[in-house]
Amino acid sequence: MGLSGRFRSAVVIGGQGIRARKLRTFLSMISLFLGVLAVVAVQASSVLANRALLADIEMSEGKDGTVVVGVPPGPKGTSSALEVVRGRTDAVASFSTQAIIGEPGLTPVNPGGMPLRYADQAGPQTRMICDGRSCYTEVSDEKPPPRGNTVEVLVVGITGDIRQFRPFQLEAGSWLDFGGEPSLSPRIVLNREATEAFTRYQLPAEMSIGSAYQGNGPGAPGAPHATPRVIGTVHDGGFQPVVYVRADELLNWIPAEALESQSASLTMAPAAASILPTLRAKLGPEAAGQLYTTTVNSRERIGGQLDMMRWIFYGMAALVLLIGVAGILNVGLATVGERVEEFALRRAVGTPRLLLAGIVLAETLIIGLLTAAAAIAAGVVGLKLAGELFGANRPTLQNVDFPWEAGVAGVVAGLVAGVLGGLFPAIRAARIPIATVMRA
Amino acid sequence: MTAVPQPPLIQLNGVTKTLKGQGEPRPILSGVDLTVRAGESVAILGRSGSGKSTMLSLIGLFDRPDGGQYLLHGADITRIPERRAARLRSQEFGFVFQRFFLLKHLTAMQNVAMALVNGQGWLARRKRRAKVMAALEQVGIAHLAKHRPARLSGGEQQRVAIARALVRQPRVLLADEPTGALDTETGALVIDVLHAATERGCGLILVTHDHAHANRMGRVLRLRDGLLVPDRTGVLA
Repeated sequence: MGLSGRFRSAVVIGGQGIRARKLRTFLSMISLFLGVLAVVAVQASSVLANRALLADIEMSEGKDGTVVVGVPPGPKGTSSALEVVRGRTDAVASFSTQAIIGEPGLTPVNPGGMPLRYADQAGPQTRMICDGRSCYTEVSDEKPPPRGNTVEVLVVGITGDIRQFRPFQLEAGSWLDFGGEPSLSPRIVLNREATEAFTRYQLPAEMSIGSAYQGNGPGAPGAPHATPRVIGTVHDGGFQPVVYVRADELLNWIPAEALESQSASLTMAPAAASILPTLRAKLGPEAAGQLYTTTVNSRERIGGQLDMMRWIFYGMAALVLLIGVAGILNVGLATVGERVEEFALRRAVGTPRLLLAGIVLAETLIIGLLTAAAAIAAGVVGLKLAGELFGANRPTLQNVDFPWEAGVAGVVAGLVAGVLGGLFPAIRAARIPIATVMRA
Repeated sequence: MTAVPQPPLIQLNGVTKTLKGQGEPRPILSGVDLTVRAGESVAILGRSGSGKSTMLSLIGLFDRPDGGQYLLHGADITRIPERRAARLRSQEFGFVFQRFFLLKHLTAMQNVAMALVNGQGWLARRKRRAKVMAALEQVGIAHLAKHRPARLSGGEQQRVAIARALVRQPRVLLADEPTGALDTETGALVIDVLHAATERGCGLILVTHDHAHANRMGRVLRLRDGLLVPDRTGVLA
């Protein structure tokens, strides 16, 4: 017999007690429902916020464990970075330059490649001056060309599929194909902001690639003009307009000596870190000393950022839950008061005190679990509704699955509320003197 | 070869009990001696407040005596712990009260099953149902198994209560004024049912005010001044 028989007895008798007092059970569930729902909502929001934040950070910085090496500008900097990753799939080198896409001879609506939302807030016309060792900007006293349907973007040349480290979300078309010969007409993939620029300004596909090495900016006379082919769009978590292109196709439009003024970066799996000694050897001792290496550890960092907020909301949810517990406690005590004779009779027919306490606890636990199930169901439906109603404006709500952690939190909250609300009535039930039935 | 005599079912030796309420402690039993054997029926008479129910609650292990000795099947259970007492209440005793104490939200069948779903062993639903129906059959109301107490007469309700007391086939039935809330005719039927149980070897201790019912028992005792004295037979228990 043992625990199994007692457990079954408690559940059977508890179920009978609940069925006998349906309205009272329902009323105590209502007060608890709000508390459990608050816990479910806080946990779900926290998990969803965490996921959304992490997804954005992973896209812009890389997945946890990814090693990122910054290679400073220099005579052999970028070219060495490109060389050491050649033929490797576990490491990607990248470098970037500015470009202007649109009608030639016009000032871009977002000088410097700023996000489009600031397009009308551009300051005075500046130009970037690079002297081979460093770059700086200065205010230009020349009268700038008129602004028009032209956008300045950041062009990122990459040697391989960087999505293994930064999980960009492909939104349309296709991603870059790194097999085969490079094309003179660069195949480009736009990020969301660049896609928005193309849509808003109906840009012609003419790209004036940055010629900082020539001492003037993109779009200036002498800057090379390429005719890119847009093959896809991605969400990369960034706010600036960015264009991704195969490094070798971009290099068709940038002379080798121009690379000296470019910084580069290597993004790699931890196992690929063995290429670092080779890179240092190629760079020489002075430049090798300027390499900076970081390992992405976003999960822990943002976990700390969200913790404070999460605990504040948990505190609020706990208060609401406490009100629900008080409701169960109140109903539980009243019910035990009404059932004094029943409990005394049960003891008379041999029910142990512990089982009597178990019966009361079983009832409150069943109420807690039923409430948790209702709150979780409400959470699932609420999230689905929120996705349908607000998903168009808030992409983080689109196609979001209800997080299992919120379900677990709801069940735990229901059980804890059941135990807290049922414990005192259970102790009281177990202490009912058996002789009550004799004196009745 | 001579048979070894079986020890009495119940043996009380000089049992005392004092009730401690808000006022002065009141001695209620001052040295009760009682022996009940298997299949024997004993009626206990006495005025209200004489201690009949207190004595029954000591025998039924609802409470413990202050002094004296209580033997069940020859084993001393005077200071038995509550956990073991609960098991003995379930296995050895059946209780019938003046008020029937049926749970109004349960059917007759479920009320009887209450004595089986008490954490002292577990029976599968089918076996439980068979035992319950047998007990209801024994008291002649199997056809009312699915009725709730509100739809039963007083006599029927008491018979459900007796079925609840009998369903575990106890060695001793303790009945505390079981006919007190019934009319004479129905009361007589209830006593018939209780008496039938003794014919199957079950001991019966009946507390009553009714001499007619008491006279149907094997022995009649009277509780007076905290002591049990013979009422009819003239033989001390």
